[in-house]
Amino acid sequence: MTIPEEFKTRLKIAKSKIKGQVLSDSEKRGSFMGSAFKLGTELVAAVAVGTIIGFILDTWFDTKPWLIIIFFFLGAAAGLLNVIRTANRMQKED
Amino acid sequence: MASNPMQQFSVHKIGPEIKIAGIDLSFTNASLFMVISASTILLFLFLGTKEKKIIPDKVQLVAEMFYSFVAKMINDTAGSKAKPYFPFIFSLFMFVLFCNMIGMLPYSFTVTSHIIVTLILALFIFIAVTIIGFAKHGFKYLSIFVPSGVPAVLLPLITIIEIISYLSRPVSLSVRLFANMMAGHTMLKVFGGFVISLGILGGWLPLGFSVALTGLEILVAFLQAYVFAILTCIYLNDALNLHH
Repeated sequence: MTIPEEFKTRLKIAKSKIKGQVLSDSEKRGSFMGSAFKLGTELVAAVAVGTIIGFILDTWFDTKPWLIIIFFFLGAAAGLLNVIRTANRMQKED
Repeated sequence: MASNPMQQFSVHKIGPEIKIAGIDLSFTNASLFMVISASTILLFLFLGTKEKKIIPDKVQLVAEMFYSFVAKMINDTAGSKAKPYFPFIFSLFMFVLFCNMIGMLPYSFTVTSHIIVTLILALFIFIAVTIIGFAKHGFKYLSIFVPSGVPAVLLPLITIIEIISYLSRPVSLSVRLFANMMAGHTMLKVFGGFVISLGILGGWLPLGFSVALTGLEILVAFLQAYVFAILTCIYLNDALNLHH
């Protein structure tokens, strides 16, 4: 099936319209809220995982409370790493 | 106790108790709404693909929009290598989206507002992506824990941080969806309670808020399904294309 020439130009116009489309204000706010929440959970999740790993290793090696302290800070570092990565990805998308 | 905003999240059994090998497998309202979501998707896609018209009708148009939306998302974030995983990501996106959206109907139950549901979904993705990574690259997959250009002194520390960061993926993925859905639905219920308790005189303001929040919640329901799917694509991309 061949695509008629007229349809091709109409498709082109429609496609260029989609590209130039800007999000409305409320949509933007919604996606900002979404990205803010995304960053928050990234940070908290890594801290939680780090602390849990520290807790488990502490009970294994019987070194309470040292490993939980160390892994809490490692988790916080991992959380910051996550946040930086997510922020970089968001910037690339824009 | 209709005034308790958390009551909407309670899971209760429907029908007889089923126990297999000591595990409670009874049919609950949560299972009912999962079945409803899955069958709604099936019905919707069946109707959308029944007659393949050149000029689509409304149902076919929406079904095709979902298809091209997910296809474009996978292509943009994970590249052409991720094409074989399209069915999985499409079903995942549709399931989360329909669970969220059906939860917006009054008197319904939001499956995704329970952490166990979202955690199982996220853990499945996490384990699957890890297996795919090892299957594609063998032990070279472990190199995602070792970023390039790091001084040798810092390498053990960075590796531990990278491992924690990797392990935190299913947690952040599941907590995000669960917390968004639960917080939104609790908020709706609380404002609904205000309308009742303030009566005909003062109830108009929270009623207005309720209407606005419902709109916001529908946006969040869609956005969270999208975020869930796009993060799956991003993780898949990390596993398929090492050192992006």
